[in-house]
Amino acid sequence: MRRSLLALVVISSLVLAAVPSLASSRPRYGGTVRVLLRHKITSLDPLQESDDPASRDRVASLIYETLTAIDAQGRTRPRLATSWQADSARRVWQFNLRAANFHDGSPVTAAPVAASLKSANPEWKVIATGKQQITIETPYPVPHLPELLALVRFSIIKRSGALVGSGPYTLTDWQPGERALLTAYEDYWGGRPFPDSIEFRMGLSLREHLMERNLGSDHAVELGVDQLRGLEQAQTNQTLLVSRPADLVVLLFLQPNADVAARPTRKPIDPRVREALANSMNRAAISNVLLQKKGAPAGGLLPQWLTGYEFLFPGKQDMDRARKLRTDAGNVTAITLAYDASDPVMKTIAERIAVDARESSIPVQPLGDLHVNTKSGRAALNADAVLLRLPLRSLDPTAALASLADDLALASDTVSAIQRSARSEELAEVERKTLADYRIIPVVHLSQVVWTNGNVHNWQQLPNGNWDLDQLWVEGTK
Amino acid sequence: MLMRIIRPFSCLPLVLLVLAGTHAQESPQSALVDAGNDFIQEIISHNGLPGTLAVSFDNLSSLSTTDQQLVKSVILGRLRGSGMHVVKAESAAAEVLITLSEDWQGYVWVANVKQNGGSRLVIKRIARVQKTAALRTPTVTLQKLFSWNQDSPMLDFVLDGQTFLVLEPEQVVVYVNNSGHWKATEMLGISHELAWPRDLQGRLQVRSRQITVFLPGTQCTGAVSPAQLQCRASDDPWQLDAGPLASAFFSPARNFFTGVLAGQNAGISVPSFFSAAVWQSGDTKQWLFAGNDGRMRLYQNSLSSPAATFNDWGSDVAAAHSSCGSGWQVIASSGTTNSLQAIEIVNRDAVPVSSALELSGTVRALWPSGSNGQVHGITESATGKYEAFALSVSCNQ
Repeated sequence: MRRSLLALVVISSLVLAAVPSLASSRPRYGGTVRVLLRHKITSLDPLQESDDPASRDRVASLIYETLTAIDAQGRTRPRLATSWQADSARRVWQFNLRAANFHDGSPVTAAPVAASLKSANPEWKVIATGKQQITIETPYPVPHLPELLALVRFSIIKRSGALVGSGPYTLTDWQPGERALLTAYEDYWGGRPFPDSIEFRMGLSLREHLMERNLGSDHAVELGVDQLRGLEQAQTNQTLLVSRPADLVVLLFLQPNADVAARPTRKPIDPRVREALANSMNRAAISNVLLQKKGAPAGGLLPQWLTGYEFLFPGKQDMDRARKLRTDAGNVTAITLAYDASDPVMKTIAERIAVDARESSIPVQPLGDLHVNTKSGRAALNADAVLLRLPLRSLDPTAALASLADDLALASDTVSAIQRSARSEELAEVERKTLADYRIIPVVHLSQVVWTNGNVHNWQQLPNGNWDLDQLWVEGTK
Repeated sequence: MLMRIIRPFSCLPLVLLVLAGTHAQESPQSALVDAGNDFIQEIISHNGLPGTLAVSFDNLSSLSTTDQQLVKSVILGRLRGSGMHVVKAESAAAEVLITLSEDWQGYVWVANVKQNGGSRLVIKRIARVQKTAALRTPTVTLQKLFSWNQDSPMLDFVLDGQTFLVLEPEQVVVYVNNSGHWKATEMLGISHELAWPRDLQGRLQVRSRQITVFLPGTQCTGAVSPAQLQCRASDDPWQLDAGPLASAFFSPARNFFTGVLAGQNAGISVPSFFSAAVWQSGDTKQWLFAGNDGRMRLYQNSLSSPAATFNDWGSDVAAAHSSCGSGWQVIASSGTTNSLQAIEIVNRDAVPVSSALELSGTVRALWPSGSNGQVHGITESATGKYEAFALSVSCNQ
């Protein structure tokens, strides 16, 4: 009896000692979460253009809040709004606001909320219809307005000199392009966050990244898919979070039509050449070889996993058709293709596109530039086309497509068609029309990657790569 | 809401009533048949669709071959039943290409109807019907007696005869048994001045139909019938065990006990903790505290210093009483998996005495249930669904 009991004790020790971490522990308060961002953020204003809007939005969404939120299951949830309702035409919406305070102590009431939303979309008529109630009247029916309002650009911000938000963290130190220190907001309506603060550092070199990750004290590091090699082998005490292929890598022709006079130095590219270029791309090779399967070929603007209908827009390589179109087009001058010089992945893709194009006798000249991601930067580019990486900003297809339309500066009738869409069929039709003239050529959808060490808990990466840090906490604190 | 009895609950006459309240779940096949019928209805409801169609199928989804065949036969059968003639492409007036696709949430069926040089899309989204996974029956001693599922957060619950009370962050919901169904009859609001802390904890007690609710910085008292609840700011200690042995103060703005004990141990402090198991075995009074530094501390008879410290446990423990072994088992959550295990303290060692009972999510709360020696708790799944459950310990034969 004694022996068997002893044996049981030994077994029990093994069972308990084998437990490596406190993954199922309750969250702990305290500590500073240190995060390395790949790129430099120079402004946290969601209404300003950014060279890296995805990183900017991740930081901004901790400081500023939206009326609604889309959760990890794609459901629309209340955030600063507790409830909402629309008229039968879905044109007039009423939102009821919760009791919350801005970081300056003032209450979140209808007046500042209305002012903030008017700044974000001057076309909307936003009226304070009660102390805690606003009404939004849109020029046309917008069936997915609550989903649109979850986009970071519709964050509720008091613009009185400095930007004041009401989110779970306050901005306590801001060095543009270098560092942002966010401190837990004690009076947050959803309860004070677990960490005392989150420190973001930006724009470190790859070498510094590697040093910090291996030797430093950082808790989370934003990575590119090019930095994954060697990390994917199982290593203890760290986690690699890879999103679904979400970001859209897309080739955008900057001057597609002869009647566009804004870029006198560049001639429009023949539509047949644009179509030939689309047909020449070997998207499967880009996804599987260049991106090591951390991407998926893109035929449409929204990924197949999000809509289920991207297959309607085939993106297969068809060199015969490419060559025929190229021949039909006659004389072709070299196409200058600009890409983000700070992103090695974009350089690789641009070069591969040029190689594929050459196979169908279309000369493509890649050109690295540091300001391709903003509309103002693109306006100054001396290039025919630009390769963009656009974040999938929402798990709601309508909001995601509306956001892409904004990034691509699509025509207002396209934007309104997206916002009017109530059904998947309508949204698919907008995509079809948008892609029909080959001014916009989807290339691949790309995953987003974040590395976290074993002390980080509840770092939730959503399928589109966004971060949900609502329940984040770190060990090593008391 | 779905309610389910997992095993017969001998001491409660509600077993059959509760079982009768279980919602029948649609089988995956019948859901596909219904979806197929709806899909075809949408396709043929369009004006101008001719009577002769060519129909082709493509599959891009994870549907099994059997389910694909089922869907195809439903679609073709429904088309023919609606007077359509399905013919070869060369003699058809319209062509329908049906793609069984899917997105991250469910199936997406797309019909591309080509007619007169134009095309029209019909897209139908169908939720994936989950095949109900059989609950793993504990092989040794832990038995799940009771289960209640809901989408909104739960903090604690009490099953009190014909009444079932659920503590939620903003209310206590009172259910009564109505011919085998639990029917919500009262929602007693909880008023509180300050925002709740993250990882909100709460304790619900019902004794002689009197309700007591403990929440961080708040206490509510009331009655089941007539239903009423009044709340006030309070830092009164929370009961840790099922009896009068131990109580402790809970931090008003955090998710843990401060470590300051009350009641019989008033004035004594231990390191702050998430949960505790307290029991008396013979002459030995024992406390096990799940510290919020990740350490489990065992005290025996004296609270002056721990008799043993264990690392790498989960954050939730509760004491269960049974007729097995020493008579007392500690039910503890795992540090790595969503499971519970019964553990006995033998001298100063922790000895697992059951296999792990797997749960549907992370343990959010674990409490002793009352004089019956059982424990109960709450889990939250990765998809944000909550389950309330009760457990008992039964002896191996």
